[in-house]
Amino acid sequence: MNLLYKSPRLLLLLTLVLGGTTIHAQGIMGGRVTGNIQLDGQISSADSIIGAQDVPEWLLMNARADILYTNGGFSAGLRFEAYQNPMLGFDNRYKGEGIANYFVSYQGEKLSVTAGNFYEQFGSGMILRAYEDRYLGIDNSLRGLNVTLRPFNGVTIKALAGKQRYFWNYADGMVRGIDGEVNLNSIVKCMAESRFRATLGAGFVSKYEDDQTIAFPDNPSYRLNLPLNVGAGAVRMDLAYGNWGLQAEYAHKGQDPSVMNNFIYRDGEALMVNATYSQKGFSANVQAKRVDNMSFKSVRSESGEMLYINYIPAITKQHTYAFLSMYPYATQTTGEMGLQGDVMYKIKKETLLGGKYGTDIHINGSIITSIDTNNIGGAGTLGYESDWFKTGDLYYADASLEVAKKLSKAVKLTCTYGYQVFNPVVEGHNGPLHHNHIVVGDLTWKVNKKNVLRFEAEWMGSDSQYDPNVDDKRCGDWIMGLVEYNFTSAWFVSVSDQYAYRDGVGNYYNVSVGYNHGATRLQLGYGKQREGLLCIGGVCRQVPASNGLTFSLTTSF
Amino acid sequence: MKKLILTLACIALSGIALAQNAQLPQNITIKALDGTSVQTSAIQNDGKPIIISFWATWCKPCNRELNTIKEVYEEWQEETGVKLVAISIDDARSAARVKPHVDGNGWEYEVYLDQNQDFKRAMNVVNVPHTFVVNGKGEIVWQHTSFVEGSEEELLEVVKKAAAEE
Repeated sequence: MNLLYKSPRLLLLLTLVLGGTTIHAQGIMGGRVTGNIQLDGQISSADSIIGAQDVPEWLLMNARADILYTNGGFSAGLRFEAYQNPMLGFDNRYKGEGIANYFVSYQGEKLSVTAGNFYEQFGSGMILRAYEDRYLGIDNSLRGLNVTLRPFNGVTIKALAGKQRYFWNYADGMVRGIDGEVNLNSIVKCMAESRFRATLGAGFVSKYEDDQTIAFPDNPSYRLNLPLNVGAGAVRMDLAYGNWGLQAEYAHKGQDPSVMNNFIYRDGEALMVNATYSQKGFSANVQAKRVDNMSFKSVRSESGEMLYINYIPAITKQHTYAFLSMYPYATQTTGEMGLQGDVMYKIKKETLLGGKYGTDIHINGSIITSIDTNNIGGAGTLGYESDWFKTGDLYYADASLEVAKKLSKAVKLTCTYGYQVFNPVVEGHNGPLHHNHIVVGDLTWKVNKKNVLRFEAEWMGSDSQYDPNVDDKRCGDWIMGLVEYNFTSAWFVSVSDQYAYRDGVGNYYNVSVGYNHGATRLQLGYGKQREGLLCIGGVCRQVPASNGLTFSLTTSF
Repeated sequence: MKKLILTLACIALSGIALAQNAQLPQNITIKALDGTSVQTSAIQNDGKPIIISFWATWCKPCNRELNTIKEVYEEWQEETGVKLVAISIDDARSAARVKPHVDGNGWEYEVYLDQNQDFKRAMNVVNVPHTFVVNGKGEIVWQHTSFVEGSEEELLEVVKKAAAEE
């Protein structure tokens, strides 16, 4: 025991892993302890071809355990995290270990209170979204106080204050917010049974940060007069009538000079509108957005991915096939305009095109451009003027058609064609647009009750060429094959290879083996892996780039 | 301090008591597809079993699971009285697509949005799909992560057992 105390990390990890897999929810003082554990590791060797860096440590490991105690409406939790050392793709400032997150919370019918770390979102998150994505190394949780009131059925009021997590510390900026939402059908008697459904909401967030000296670039003996409080407000509605739906949210942010907008004093704004029509077997939706200078962080000097108070979602479709998701589009919070459309249609059984089992058709398209800007000055000025309806340069466009068809009781085929135009400037590089054609075939064969085979073939033709100066390893023409064998949902083995056969570099071969039992999953892999969303062996998750051996254990209890 | 935390963690985790089934959390707020907020206590099925499936529009295995069950859902309902509740963890990026996605696929499940992932955290869901079976007393009696064709039959066995408990 003494030895174990000397290496407490090891002890804690062992306890958590061994304890967690053997016990169920425990009864303690009438309450229950539940939790989840995740352990990811890689034994990596450098490979400039796939972007895996040379790491002096032979083993990289991320570990995490959430322990949750619940007793009626009361709960308390803590999260242990260890990065020894952080895996590829994770910021090195995560290195270390400790209790990263803790809270106590009461969830009642009319009142919820959380003290400690919490996650929260106002509307669609355009002015406030404290969230985490454990696989991307994002944890924007706020540490402070979060109160939700539900005085009557249909009315929700939220109020919060806190500081944002910044790796193992908390950012200086203080975030405070209030939000209200009313569901008209619940509070207006005559609307209770109406086919017209309406929810309205509004929120306000303010950030306070101490003053600092930022020199005025035109005359360095002057300094910028920085606003210490920055406010942002949003209004939203969610309307539905029968099969029709309309959601809209508009956000406005006051002067917020920061590294992200090059210290200009222009107000920010964003509008997002979504219209849908859907009935059984058919649906369509159209989404439009315009974002202008909406980067909102709790620390004005922070660049990069951390400390966002708000979240402006990308409206492009989140593809899961490897080549379709090779160029994911990331929202440009400083300014963009976009339009997205999506149609799903189910051709009925026993028709000419539907065949015996019916056919599913899914069409999606999106186009994103920069906003029009007319520069009127640099740091310390309003920055630029913008014509609201005028579009700027093309950032991204894509169109895809997916047809899924059950060929027999045992065989299902999905075919996808996609076309993409990608502007490397969204990732901070200059260069010509990439035009990609992608074809995917995905076939699942249920051999019998317990054995399932899946085959995936992909092709990508691109006019992009590998340029060692830019070092974008996705360039060129690619082919890919994947075979996956599942023995029930317990075991799986998958073998895959992605190969750049023209104008590119790279050969990503990978073998993975996995085992699922209840809520426990163990996976081992060997080979080269691109970072991105990976869906094999029956689950989907983000994976970091790697070259060598990887292992992953997740369990909950 | 570290020692104390460690000791507490050890006590909490190594005291292997009788394994009791956890109850479904009651007061977590999720959203129905028409925009109204509801609490998880509303997930009810008159004392019959409930399947709770965490999924996302972009998750292929989740869609395979929900589409596979769709074809046998009526039979399952007749046989066991089971109800499937699908909890979407889609965030702001794809939450607006959930309703069209559900209708387009012709799913007749009870679907809720868990955009802030409060329910997901309370249920200790790490990856999707993650499927739970809750018995008539509101106890979680089974859970499984991942889906491949054929594993719906294992799920049906668990549901039958839970239904027979009444």
